[in-house]
Amino acid sequence: MEAVLKNVASTTELLSVAALSGEVQRWDKQTLSRAFQWARYCEHLFSRFHNNPAIRMLMEKQLQLTNQSLRAAFAECIEVSFTDLSRCQHLLLVGLLKNPELPISIMKILFDTASPVNTQQSECQDVTGFCSHIIQCKSACKVLSPLADLSAVGADAEVQAAMLMERLDALLSQGSEACRTEHILDSVLRGFEGAAGHFCLVIAAALLTKKNSAAQCASQDFLLDWLQKEQSVLQHMCSALPATLIIDLTKGHLKFRDAYCDLLKKWASDMEYSISEGEWVQPRRNRTVSFNRLTEHFLGLFETCPSLREDVIKELNDLKMSDGDFDVRGLSVWGDLLSAVNT
Amino acid sequence: MSQLQPLIQLQQAAEPPLDVQEMRFWLDKAVAWGQADTQKDTTLHLSRLRDFLQQLLTHINNMSSTTDTMKTLPLLGQFLGRLCWNPYVTADAAGRRLLFQCLWGLYSEHPGNAVERKANQWIRKVLCQLATEEDDDPAQALMKQMGVPPKEYHLKVLTKMVALLQENIGKSCSSLCNINQRCSCDNILATSEACVPLVTCPEAAPLIGALLQQPVTCVRAALSEDFLDALSSAYSSQCLSLEEQAVVSLWYHNLSSLEEAVLSLLESALTNSRSIPQKQLEQSLLPKACAQHCSIFLVVNDIFRSILKQAEGKESVKCFIRTFTSCFLRELALQQHQTSVSLKAMFPQSPQSLLLPLLTRPSEMPREAWRRHLNWLSGSLQRLTEEEEEGEEGDGGNSSSTRFARYRRVFEAWFLLVQCAHWVQVAVQLLVTSEPEDCGPLLWLLIFYHHPTNRGHHRARQLVHGKEAWDHLRSLFLASARPLPVDRLQSLVALLSPQSQQPSLSPSLTLNLLVHFAVFLQQSPSASTDILQTVVDRSGLVDEAECVLSSLELRLDEDNCLSSDTGRVHLRIQALQNTLTRMHAASNCADN
Repeated sequence: MEAVLKNVASTTELLSVAALSGEVQRWDKQTLSRAFQWARYCEHLFSRFHNNPAIRMLMEKQLQLTNQSLRAAFAECIEVSFTDLSRCQHLLLVGLLKNPELPISIMKILFDTASPVNTQQSECQDVTGFCSHIIQCKSACKVLSPLADLSAVGADAEVQAAMLMERLDALLSQGSEACRTEHILDSVLRGFEGAAGHFCLVIAAALLTKKNSAAQCASQDFLLDWLQKEQSVLQHMCSALPATLIIDLTKGHLKFRDAYCDLLKKWASDMEYSISEGEWVQPRRNRTVSFNRLTEHFLGLFETCPSLREDVIKELNDLKMSDGDFDVRGLSVWGDLLSAVNT
Repeated sequence: MSQLQPLIQLQQAAEPPLDVQEMRFWLDKAVAWGQADTQKDTTLHLSRLRDFLQQLLTHINNMSSTTDTMKTLPLLGQFLGRLCWNPYVTADAAGRRLLFQCLWGLYSEHPGNAVERKANQWIRKVLCQLATEEDDDPAQALMKQMGVPPKEYHLKVLTKMVALLQENIGKSCSSLCNINQRCSCDNILATSEACVPLVTCPEAAPLIGALLQQPVTCVRAALSEDFLDALSSAYSSQCLSLEEQAVVSLWYHNLSSLEEAVLSLLESALTNSRSIPQKQLEQSLLPKACAQHCSIFLVVNDIFRSILKQAEGKESVKCFIRTFTSCFLRELALQQHQTSVSLKAMFPQSPQSLLLPLLTRPSEMPREAWRRHLNWLSGSLQRLTEEEEEGEEGDGGNSSSTRFARYRRVFEAWFLLVQCAHWVQVAVQLLVTSEPEDCGPLLWLLIFYHHPTNRGHHRARQLVHGKEAWDHLRSLFLASARPLPVDRLQSLVALLSPQSQQPSLSPSLTLNLLVHFAVFLQQSPSASTDILQTVVDRSGLVDEAECVLSSLELRLDEDNCLSSDTGRVHLRIQALQNTLTRMHAASNCADN
């Protein structure tokens, strides 16, 4: 373990050296390759131990120490946290590329775009064209993304959902406390600030992925429970997602169906009749869905889950009766809903 | 970069100066591409853009400093900068390479002024941004939280996109749909266009393979021409990474890549004079591709026809064609349960009466029937040639087109014979053990194979020469007297050397006969070996003799010719091969 910690410390120091010192002027292809090897080694350590709290703690302590000594040596050192280790190669690359002392020959190696057949079997094949390959990937994604209707949610949402579920699986399988896992989901939500619609797609994709094991089902279950608590996300999902997605979600998860049904009822109960518009509307501060749309939601739900229809109609009827059982439009949202749904 | 310098100096005199107008044109294009949805326009211009970038690169390398370059092309920085952010240019390997090389060309090792210093800074910044910046903040935040490095993330997204698009391609519509209706096949054209810059991207290979291999059931399911062109040029520069079936589909869709494949196979098979083409053909995908698509086989045969006409009877070419055809027929037999293409469709121009008799392999009929079969073949071919000649001598009322048609018939018959030349080899084998009165038809066949045209009616004299050569060989090998008669050996050597007087017998014909005599005649092995060794040594035809032996061995193996003396024959071949190898080694030593 000592050796491992030492290596982590050295690689952390290496990152600062690569980014901030003039040492890089003396680097050659071999040095570059070795640096990236060490970075890959740290990434490997992260994937091995990030679910192991004891070792993780040891590493975090070591990193703290190293960061301290680096602060003494460099004015603006690169402070490395444990999670940073997962992207060590990227940090190394960013540091190098931003370092004005980096020799242009090293940059040329990183951006080398030789054709695949012509690359000789050199010992530094891992770094040759490292950046070129990244750029190719990113550009290829941009080229292909306009081809619409790839999937209901989009390739990037699917990949992000997979990443999220993998993390949840790991957390839950090692018996993390529920509040810690929720905390992580909350921080993910915050990361999507300003892209709430996309976040909904990610959650939908996460819930729609086919699960093969009980552990994976547990993750989806956890996500659903969290959704119940995080009503704003649920609301956004139900109002912004395309109908087909919502239908798939209700078919796949009972919890979602019930939450969705409750939400629809809540939306209805919040509605007021506006004489000027001649229609039921939500309160001004929270306009997400129209009465017509609400009706469509109910109809869609009934089509997907016929068994639910009877119960909900009965409920609506009871509510209508408690409102006075009038058959005049505009007096009870439940009555108007019923008539809209029954036609 | 240094390798470019001498080349540039050579070109400098001939290179036209870079047109500022052209620069303007391309800059306007680059600006337009940055704005709207311009996929179609970009992919349309991609190869011309690459050519222009190459010109730019040459120009930049010609200039002595960046300051000078900027003076001649002030818009250059803007232009390159815009291209850097165009994913269609950066996804394409060649485009990206040229773009980066232009940037490196503008970098000054020792900047002499502010302009050059700024240029250096800008280049570093652009490259850093391209490689490390994320424009999707939520995705970046998620990556950090989930502990996934950006490179892995982007690779995953790309792989997923490719997989989703592949699935989409698989759903082809029913063929008889209304022309005016929309169908799911519309996306095939769009997808193929989008893939133009991605032909060299290994991660996109599964999608490109799927596009090439999707069955063409609908009028709308066409592949973009630009896509096929891009594939073709990537194929010829060997930057393509496709799996086998996708390559076959590429050949099916794109004539130039098929032609290129055939010609490069021929070249590699023929330049290696020592070995027979079998090895290369076994590794090549072409026979299998021909078996899967009749149209590919027809094109390949057309190429063979023109090569044959140019090669003027070169034995190695004929040998290649024979081996290719037998590989093809083997593949076809393996495929039979899937497709039932008739032989007529595969060999539409060959005389139909000869088709089945020639394609039948000797192993498929009893040995005793061989002679009769060959006599029949010889007779049929003779009749064909006589028809052509009679037509020639006939009245001038015959139109040139019918004469041409008759000539064509003979050529096609001969071409089929070349493709099925195992029968010619059987004829030679039988000649060895024939009596003088039985030689006629077999000799005729042999001579026709080597000399298909009867210019100046030489064939009669060639037949005479052939018989003489046969007599000669027979008496030589049957002679029990030792030591070997020198003069007889010498006249044999003379036969094998290229002769100036017409009409001569093809040396390869005589060599073929010689080797077969050495193998099949039941004389003492040492005598046969001696004769072969001496003659081959003196005429300098060691390589050719080895080829003949290897071909013979292969034919015997393929045809599984089991007879009482198979073992003896193989031993004999082995012994002769060893002798020839020793001779070859000795001559190599002597050369060195």
